[in-house]
Amino acid sequence: MEDLFKKELKVINMGLEGFAETLKERGTTVLHVRWQPPAMGDDDLLSLLDKLK
Amino acid sequence: MVLKYHISKNTFRDSVYLMRLSNTVRAFEGILEAEVIIGTDHNKKFLQAAGLWSAEMDQEAGANDLIIAVKAENEEKAENAIQGTIDELNKSVERENLLGEFVPRTFETALKNLPGANLVLISIPGRHVHREADQILDAGLNVMIFSDNVTLEEEISLKKKALEKGLLVMGPDCGTAIINGVPLAFANEVKRGGIGIVAAAGTGLQEVSSLISNLGEGISHGIGTGGRDVKASVGGITMIQGLKALLDDDNTKVIVIVSKPPDSEVTDKVLKLVSEAEKPVVINFLGGNPNDVKKTGAIPAATLKEAAEKAVNLVRGIDKNNDVSSLPEEEADYRKIKESFKDGQKYLRALYSGGTLAYETIILLHSSLGDLYTNLSYEQVRKIEDVYKSVKHTVIDFGEDEFTQGRLHPMIDPALRNSRIVEEAGDPETAVIMLDLVLGYNAHPDPAGSALEAIKEAKEIAGREGRNICFVTSVLGTDEDIQKRSDQVKKLQDENVLVFPSNADAALFVKKVLAELMK
Repeated sequence: MEDLFKKELKVINMGLEGFAETLKERGTTVLHVRWQPPAMGDDDLLSLLDKLK
Repeated sequence: MVLKYHISKNTFRDSVYLMRLSNTVRAFEGILEAEVIIGTDHNKKFLQAAGLWSAEMDQEAGANDLIIAVKAENEEKAENAIQGTIDELNKSVERENLLGEFVPRTFETALKNLPGANLVLISIPGRHVHREADQILDAGLNVMIFSDNVTLEEEISLKKKALEKGLLVMGPDCGTAIINGVPLAFANEVKRGGIGIVAAAGTGLQEVSSLISNLGEGISHGIGTGGRDVKASVGGITMIQGLKALLDDDNTKVIVIVSKPPDSEVTDKVLKLVSEAEKPVVINFLGGNPNDVKKTGAIPAATLKEAAEKAVNLVRGIDKNNDVSSLPEEEADYRKIKESFKDGQKYLRALYSGGTLAYETIILLHSSLGDLYTNLSYEQVRKIEDVYKSVKHTVIDFGEDEFTQGRLHPMIDPALRNSRIVEEAGDPETAVIMLDLVLGYNAHPDPAGSALEAIKEAKEIAGREGRNICFVTSVLGTDEDIQKRSDQVKKLQDENVLVFPSNADAALFVKKVLAELMK
């Protein structure tokens, strides 16, 4: 948290692209993640993957 | 009438983008109804309910595929709209390519490409949040969770992990934060300065930070906790962490806390910390008991506006009992307003986009208005049965779940509220219509302009029956916001709409008007 208040804010944005765009427009360092549901959105496959972790 | 659809395989887009795109498709000529939506099971049910369903979609579209479904006057118009939508989608890919930037698909890849990143803003569907946030915390980054629909257990587990690692989890359901002067999600462009805010109430943080900025002072950091943080089960983990961080922060001279009254265990923890604090702390526990706050040596504030003003006085070194800076008040002749109403006009219809502002209005008005109904939960006020139909005095928050399922939040798309403004004008008992206009990043580009379209129509409807409706608004934001507050205010005033500097001012004005009406 100290890091958060004392260093320049660098943001990774995951989800709504608009949030990254507005940050970029005002000059904040931001990288947008084009997030997609893991395991192609398949819940059964997802829970299997979780067990493997 | 025809129903046509198109499926774009492996085309995942965020929900706000898609809801905007749906609005674009609906605007095509000859389109009766349309949705552009990801093919999850939940969304398929939504399409069925909307009458945009075709059984073949079930086989063809999965959770990573995009469904464009349109109901049109004829085949040609349907195909035209679908093609227009595909073109729009392609354009968004081209725009991204033009930026020449690498767009990662996962957090790990993003972190490799942005070394030194210290915060991740998450707005993905709630059920996927825990999995992502957990690995982000493991990698040592702070998290702001805008998403809702994260379970209580998941919230607790994430916050406990963050606490152990000395990291911050803001949210879930955290709509606003300002860190190091950077406004995140729905926040306003405010001055930087010596006042730090911790808030479990999103629009509360927006209102207080904007008012402070408009009074000429600034914000060091504004930490959003998410509303559930102050429940006993979560234990105020983020609120306590945020408060401690602001107490340790050299740039923060005065602290403001904004929240609905926390559960008693959390209140005790917060107030204990406050009683030991060496910095002045202003507390607005919306509707809470000010004496509990006073006992700790902290300064209670009854409204968001009062919290902002007291913090400004403190940071300027002005005695807290000697308020000097106050926002200008709108001049009003209550009797004249009363005389402008026709017999039978007696009720308030308050139509909100900001939840905390709606809540504040209920707190300020409920004791003087016996017949008050709302869709929010407030102990002494009756829940409205049908949220689409006002009863006597009614306060509606259009940001509540019942209005936002499959729709954009009213701060982005005020269409639903606008149609309600027009509807209320048709009710001969409506006297006052109250609105909040919320400016800032990611909000509608022209809230006043949009509301005025509805207000003009409403005035016309009422005018035909010889009625006058009193429109009362407050505009939340600053002149540095992209919508520029002073421009928005002027637009409203040019159409004889009353504009107040804060929500509390607007509510107290309405209270006086209604008191005059009851005489």
